[in-house]
Amino acid sequence: MNTLAADVVAPTTTDSGHWRVIRTIAVKEWLDIYRDSRLRWLAALTALLMLCALLFGANQMQRSERDQAAAAQADRQLWISQGAKDPHAAAHFGQYAFKPQSPLALADLGIDAYAGTAVWLEAHKQNEVQFRPARDSGLSARLGNLSLAFVLQTVMPLLAVMLGFAAFSGERERGTLRQLLSLGVRPVDLLLGKGLAIAALLTVLLLPTFASIVMGMWLFTDTALLSLVDQWVRLAWLSLGYLFYIGGFVLLALAASAFAATSRTALALLLGFWLINCFLMPRLMTDWVRDSQPLPTALEFNAAVAEERKRDFGHDESHPAFVAFRDEVLLQYGVTNVEALPVNFRGLSLRKSDEVGYAIYDSHFGALQQAYARQDRWRAAPGFILPWLAIQPFSMALAGTDSRSHHHFTIAAEQHRRTIQTMISDDVIHNNRHADPSYSAPPALWAEIPAFTYLPPSSAWALPAQLVNLSALAFWCGVAALLALCAVQRLKPV
Amino acid sequence: MVNTTAFMAAMRCEWRILRLDPALWLVQVMIVATVAYALHNGGVMVERHNAAVAAAMTEEAGRLAHLRQSLADIESGSAAPPSMPFRDPRNALFMGSGAAATHAVLPLQPLALTAVGQSDLYPATLRVSAATRDTFIFSDEIANPSHLLSGSFDLAFVLVFLYPLWILALTYNLVSGEREQGTLALTAACPVPLRSVLAGKLLVRAGLPMLFTLAVVVVGLFIALGDALLSAITALLALLLAITLYGVFWAGLAAAINGLGRDSAYNALLLVVSWIALLLVVPALINGWSEWRHPSPSRAEMVLAVRAAAVDGDRERDASLARYQEEHGHSHSNGDALQRGSYRERTQRRLAVQELAMRRVEEIMVVHDQRLLQQQALSSRLGYLSPALLMHLALAEIAGTGHGRYGAFFNQVEQFHRGWRDFFISKAKTETWLEVADYSHFPRFSFVEVRAPAFFGRVAPSVVGITVLLFCIALVATRTLRRCRVVG
Repeated sequence: MNTLAADVVAPTTTDSGHWRVIRTIAVKEWLDIYRDSRLRWLAALTALLMLCALLFGANQMQRSERDQAAAAQADRQLWISQGAKDPHAAAHFGQYAFKPQSPLALADLGIDAYAGTAVWLEAHKQNEVQFRPARDSGLSARLGNLSLAFVLQTVMPLLAVMLGFAAFSGERERGTLRQLLSLGVRPVDLLLGKGLAIAALLTVLLLPTFASIVMGMWLFTDTALLSLVDQWVRLAWLSLGYLFYIGGFVLLALAASAFAATSRTALALLLGFWLINCFLMPRLMTDWVRDSQPLPTALEFNAAVAEERKRDFGHDESHPAFVAFRDEVLLQYGVTNVEALPVNFRGLSLRKSDEVGYAIYDSHFGALQQAYARQDRWRAAPGFILPWLAIQPFSMALAGTDSRSHHHFTIAAEQHRRTIQTMISDDVIHNNRHADPSYSAPPALWAEIPAFTYLPPSSAWALPAQLVNLSALAFWCGVAALLALCAVQRLKPV
Repeated sequence: MVNTTAFMAAMRCEWRILRLDPALWLVQVMIVATVAYALHNGGVMVERHNAAVAAAMTEEAGRLAHLRQSLADIESGSAAPPSMPFRDPRNALFMGSGAAATHAVLPLQPLALTAVGQSDLYPATLRVSAATRDTFIFSDEIANPSHLLSGSFDLAFVLVFLYPLWILALTYNLVSGEREQGTLALTAACPVPLRSVLAGKLLVRAGLPMLFTLAVVVVGLFIALGDALLSAITALLALLLAITLYGVFWAGLAAAINGLGRDSAYNALLLVVSWIALLLVVPALINGWSEWRHPSPSRAEMVLAVRAAAVDGDRERDASLARYQEEHGHSHSNGDALQRGSYRERTQRRLAVQELAMRRVEEIMVVHDQRLLQQQALSSRLGYLSPALLMHLALAEIAGTGHGRYGAFFNQVEQFHRGWRDFFISKAKTETWLEVADYSHFPRFSFVEVRAPAFFGRVAPSVVGITVLLFCIALVATRTLRRCRVVG
């Protein structure tokens, strides 16, 4: 108090004077926090939790990377070693596309456990991505999964609340607030000083985590496919989002502390908000969008696709569309029967059937993804005042683990399926001109068809879709700052 | 020993104080609102599930009727048999492996509306076929993955997450409140055992939200289920027991922390931290550690085994076909049937590949299941560190949406799959056509409900675990309260 009194007695009308006061308050708050064993323990446990989250995350990613690479290599080997074979049989055998994990999954696992990891690229059919890891993890995993995102989204706000709830009300209860104000300390300086101390502590806690993620990105980024710089850009945006999110909680805690009559009231209000923000509203909004904008069941979806596919002839040579296509081809080549064609008609019909199927699958899978996106938008809508609803999708999107990124993978896999089908149909069209039923494509064809290589999208693709959520987070932080400013302007010393 | 007179007097006195406290009424409103919403939500989930099952059954009936009609037309000569075996309703292999596949359903139990459990991760029905098990066992229902990540607002969520908070809201200042008001010293000065007074206070402050929750849950379930609730009386009693024990644990924890002799703000802080630790941190650490020690198997292994079987099966088939043609020549009387790409050859090739894949998949699935069991066993052992995790598991088992019932379902599906394969594959191996009459005798899946001892076996570990933790915390509470300071 003596130092502060000296600072305040010195001219405080200048910027440097205010800064001295702010700094002194911040140092004093820092010491208070440091001396409080409860907060020390809480901070240490949070740091430990982040460390565990990173270790578990790194272990999981390493394993996943190893498994996926081995599986992709083994699948490629199987594909190449098919030997001479009917090309269409090879198309039915197909390939598998394994979904790689984004390097930033180390920070946020997102929906990865609830979306599949592998998709079968077979003839005629676009398949769903299979094998949701959550099915193997069991019930206990539904209660909580340790990830850095969980700590940042749930535990960090609580820590901010614990650090800030008694900042003003505690001083008021001890009678020191009146003394401080009587020294001429501006309430705003008090707010800035206390805020700075809490922010400094949280920064100290977060810096090692940040450094670990940067190192993790070095380890887990395949620079042949991904730009390390782009991963850093993603990390920078992610950090900005979390800055708004956690910063908002610090400011809200200070606002509640200045506004509430007692520390107990401030704590109750803040804990109530934390509970609603982190636990109640996510589930309530999830249920609401699920009921108000229902998705088709798998049976309905498949039935709708099958109904549309009736337009397509597939292998049915009596289908009216098949007959029409055959007539069209015969007319085009100026011949009267398929045997007189200079190309293999079966290959042409397979290609045509595939093309009809592509449009159908694009329409249905596209509509399904739009339905997901619409649900996600509505779910995030209250993110302006309940920031968990904005930070969660923002964090997943920038980490490359949201359902839009997953859809990006499925589109890439589907494109690869189409490449396989086209190359195989072309082989039948041009190399089996005499429609020999025992025709086998040479093994070299399998090697010619490329392996699936997934190029994940850049941050420039991910960010625009998240600008609304980022604005929501900035708005939330701004509102919390405004509340804190209003509360300290009306600060009651007793 | 508790002095009954002092205990009763403390209860009466506490009730008079508490009924004037707005916190009690707020808690009661919250209990009614959240339980009612959760049960409504559970009801919607059950309706959606039942609608999906009904739609699947209708689809199956329609599909089979169509196949039966096509077969009747072929048998009567009014339609020509299809040239492709997979379109032929007489072909046992292709019908059993696809077109005639049947839906296996795990029927929901009456209390399913109380806990979503694992049900949102599994489809409402599994379309069992004669193909390898991996082709249907891993099928998924369409669901927004973000929703699966968040979870639902079901009764299990209310009871595991919110119910402790209602108890803590009324008990966090059980002793510290009295001390801060200066009444604790006065009470201690009275010629009655302080322990009896505190026990009376605790019973009222923790007992009221607990009793109210129990009552609201019973009334809510009765409104939602009506007489069907009576058929689930065992599960209901287990549910009420779990709620009571879990509530007593949190009341004990509040008492133990009050016994530390700190102020109310400290108690509130410590209780909130304990809530987070027991509900979120410990389960998350347990999951992380279990996954670390016993990683989930890579399903890619199984995919690759099936694909390798397809390649090997093809090769073996090619070799045997070449041998056959070498021995019998292309112009054998039955040669047409075994020409590459012919109806018969395609069927036999598919049969050979499927049989080989079946063996390999089953081998891998046994290994995978063992690894998952190891992970779950470790997770269950460590689960005794968190009453919230135990409660979560117990509620899912009581609702019939937990590991136990799903495990039984998948075991029964496995057995049924064998029977289904025997039916179709035996016909395929002897090249026997399916007849119209066969369509009425296809095996049908019917889940055999687990008996009461098995139900208790699934719920008991969690309930016993909570009880053990409860006794531990009660012991700590008794010790801390005995040494508790009466003045600040």
